[in-house]
Amino acid sequence: MNIDVPVLEVDDVVVRFGAVKALDGVTFRVEPGSIHSVIGPNGAGKSTMLNVLSGVYRPKSGSVRFGQQELVGMRPDKVTRLGVARAFQNLALSGGQSVEENLMLGRHALTRSGFLSSGLGWPTARAEERRHLRRVHEIADFLDLTPDLHSPVGELSYGSQKRVEIARALAMEPRILLLDEPVAGMNAGEKRYISSLIARIAKSLSISVVLVEHDMEMVMSLSDRVTVLDFGRRIADGTPVEVQADPAVIGAYLGTPAESTS
Amino acid sequence: MSNSTLVRPRPATSTRGDRGPRLWQTGLLAVAAVVLLLVPIYLGTFWLQLGFSIFAVAVGAIGLNLLTGTTGQLSLAHPFFMAVGALTYVVLAGETSETSGGTVIGLGLPPLVGMVGAVFLSGVCGLAFSPVSGRLRGIYLGMASLALVFIGQHVLNTAVPLSGGFNGRPTPPFELFGLKFDYSDSPVVILGVPFGRLEWLWYLGLVLLAAAFLFARNLLRSRPGRAMKLVADSELAASVMGVPVMAYKGKVFFLSSIYAGLAGVMYALSIGSIAPQSFAMDLSMQFLAMIVIGGMGSVGGAVAGAAFVMSLPLVIQNFSAYIPFLSTDSGGITAAHLAKYIYGAAVIAVLLFKPSGLSGIWQSAVETYRRKTLSKQELVPSKEGN
Amino acid sequence: MRFESLLLTGLSLGAVYALVALGFVILFKASEVLNFAHGSLVVLGAYVTARTHEIFGFFGAVLAGIIAAALAAVLIERLLIRPIRNAPVISLAIMTIGIEVLLNTELVRQIGVDIMTLGHPWGADTMTMGSLVIPVNRLIAIGTAVVVIAVFLVAFRFSSWGVSMRAAAEDRETAELVGLRLDRIAVVAWLIAGALAALAGVFLTGAPTPGLTPSLALIALRAFPAAIIGGLDSVAGALAGGMIIGLVEAFAAGYQSELAFLGRGIGDVLPFLVMIIVLIIRPQGLFGRKEFVRV
Repeated sequence: MNIDVPVLEVDDVVVRFGAVKALDGVTFRVEPGSIHSVIGPNGAGKSTMLNVLSGVYRPKSGSVRFGQQELVGMRPDKVTRLGVARAFQNLALSGGQSVEENLMLGRHALTRSGFLSSGLGWPTARAEERRHLRRVHEIADFLDLTPDLHSPVGELSYGSQKRVEIARALAMEPRILLLDEPVAGMNAGEKRYISSLIARIAKSLSISVVLVEHDMEMVMSLSDRVTVLDFGRRIADGTPVEVQADPAVIGAYLGTPAESTS
Repeated sequence: MSNSTLVRPRPATSTRGDRGPRLWQTGLLAVAAVVLLLVPIYLGTFWLQLGFSIFAVAVGAIGLNLLTGTTGQLSLAHPFFMAVGALTYVVLAGETSETSGGTVIGLGLPPLVGMVGAVFLSGVCGLAFSPVSGRLRGIYLGMASLALVFIGQHVLNTAVPLSGGFNGRPTPPFELFGLKFDYSDSPVVILGVPFGRLEWLWYLGLVLLAAAFLFARNLLRSRPGRAMKLVADSELAASVMGVPVMAYKGKVFFLSSIYAGLAGVMYALSIGSIAPQSFAMDLSMQFLAMIVIGGMGSVGGAVAGAAFVMSLPLVIQNFSAYIPFLSTDSGGITAAHLAKYIYGAAVIAVLLFKPSGLSGIWQSAVETYRRKTLSKQELVPSKEGN
Repeated sequence: MRFESLLLTGLSLGAVYALVALGFVILFKASEVLNFAHGSLVVLGAYVTARTHEIFGFFGAVLAGIIAAALAAVLIERLLIRPIRNAPVISLAIMTIGIEVLLNTELVRQIGVDIMTLGHPWGADTMTMGSLVIPVNRLIAIGTAVVVIAVFLVAFRFSSWGVSMRAAAEDRETAELVGLRLDRIAVVAWLIAGALAALAGVFLTGAPTPGLTPSLALIALRAFPAAIIGGLDSVAGALAGGMIIGLVEAFAAGYQSELAFLGRGIGDVLPFLVMIIVLIIRPQGLFGRKEFVRV
């Protein structure tokens, strides 16, 4: 149980790519243990937002605070060590390595065996390896990945790879999990599975989840709060019910009445 | 570069099952070990000489494989670090004497000290270069490392009091706890065979290669190994995973330079002398050929590749009578030429058709054997690869 | 006096290196490959010219050399690079190393211990400009290189191939999506690179060098640091890098006695030393772009 999950505060974040404002003063709060979705039409800046949260992009201005820590300006590996784990849309897996090895990579920041102790086969290194292998097997089991543990990730189906990616993020024992379109390209059955998995994760591990997703049904049924972006700006923020009824949101997705083609 | 994580030409490192095949592979390994231990008793000079030179080069190949095969950092610098190792050894362990190039300095220290000092100094050089190597993109490092080779050659050519200049200087024989690895009038006799330089070197080489092999294999099966492979796939993903990418690239470079330094000492012992042309760009390319032919990322593959490339010219030479188009004059194709054609073509062939190299071929054979001996009840439901 | 003469030598050498470096950079932009076999393309072109100048005359032989090198380059691209174009860049680089081993061994074997002449019609003629005495070969080299590079830059900027190349180098995936034929772009790139290499070979074997020897490969190797110094993905960089290396080499040779304390033959190492210094200061080369990865 993670009892020390703090609030994630995104405050007036601006990201510029040359002349393009990918994010224009975005603000929202992720309460501890909640599932917070970020949605919006294509190009709204959702992936950019995740990149900022994980330290890959550095915003031009604004701040991102995880509890007391300011994340802006931190290197990605430092952000990771604060408990911010991300499951990537394009997958951050090592294709040639097995599922087990990839999950163990998720433990990298939590382990310390170095070159010398590992190369020499020091007992401390071996013991650490065994300890973390046990935990990784637990996580794999939680996501029904046990039969595939020793298969090279590159040989698995797309759906399985996505599961491995989420498992890998979980292996980091995160306090907040960033999910980037976890069900993209999946069929309805797989979507339902992942959906319930996310709910289970948030509930049983009590961690916060930031979900970037296109599938409205999933977003609305899972989320505690939803932030809607359009052209890099926040146009709505509230509970799923509030957001669904918000005219600005409807306008962004369908176009304003004067512009709609139907 | 695409963001795909999928199929890289990496050998199928045994991620599947630590069951059946491992057991018989261990058996095979034991047999191989016994054979290797008995070689000096039954085989002659040619094999001992070839064997030790293979051990020397294999140690280097294992080191390069860690850097290039596993971590994806192209390096041509191996001959440079080997030169540092070799030069340091002959200066530390050799005697001050006269050569055709002039007087060369030697400190006359015990050869073991010389060897340790040599490895230490190559490590220091590797450490000095590692911040540069950490910051460079994979292929820019290839060029920068080539620079080191030329610098090394220049130093060997000009630092005559140390290196003996263009013609080099002889390597002092190795010595361990008072036992000289040299020919003597009253040699130690084991199992009816008088032990001289080549016999002792064989065992020394085996021990060093075994140590180098085990260290690398342990590394690849543990935390740093996984991180190295991820750095090769995606530096960004590695960074997100908490791997300090620049530091890792630097560390692996440092490690490979240590391997190369040791290989340099062994190489010097094997040839019997050091000269600048032994550590030229030619050797860089041979090393890369070794790890590609053996299968990039595989420690065993590196050794197999080393054996292949090293034995080629000698095997061709030995069988030259059977090869009609070989000739010894400069207009024709010599054994050396043919060896180059073969390993050059082998590199191309491996990359085109079997990127996992010799190691991959071995793994496939093991898989096929395993599947054939699987009983019907044990049919594996999940996907099998290759 | 000495300074101006060295400057001119440096510029002419630099122009020739720029030709080689340019080909190198074009290949990198088109196929993302570090072509270790590039030096051999230079030697191949020069070798074919040397073998055929008595049959076709000098200019015919030069054409033959250019065609041979361009053809070899295209064959390499089609048969050996294209099949593995999605492999990691390291594999591609090592593929070119395999090719280099084969090509270099064969070419060195063919040239043997001879010094082959390419039959330059201007031979060892020199021209006197004021108090400077310059080999005509060098002057023609600068002139030709300038013209060729200018033509290339115009084509690169305005021709459809050039625009497509730049687009593909910028963003492969999108280029493919908008229908650019990456295959064709690559073939043309290798063709041009081969031709440029052969042309450079012609000048590198003219006066004051005695002719074509196996050491041409080593000389051509200096174009690699030139390309890296400029930044592998920058055409302007290739030109700048080539010039820098040419000047460094000329001045090192000219002030040889002053530099003797660094050891004889320091001139061979200098281009690489300069490259390392540049890489330490700017890891992406002078004009190279810092890597920017989208996640």
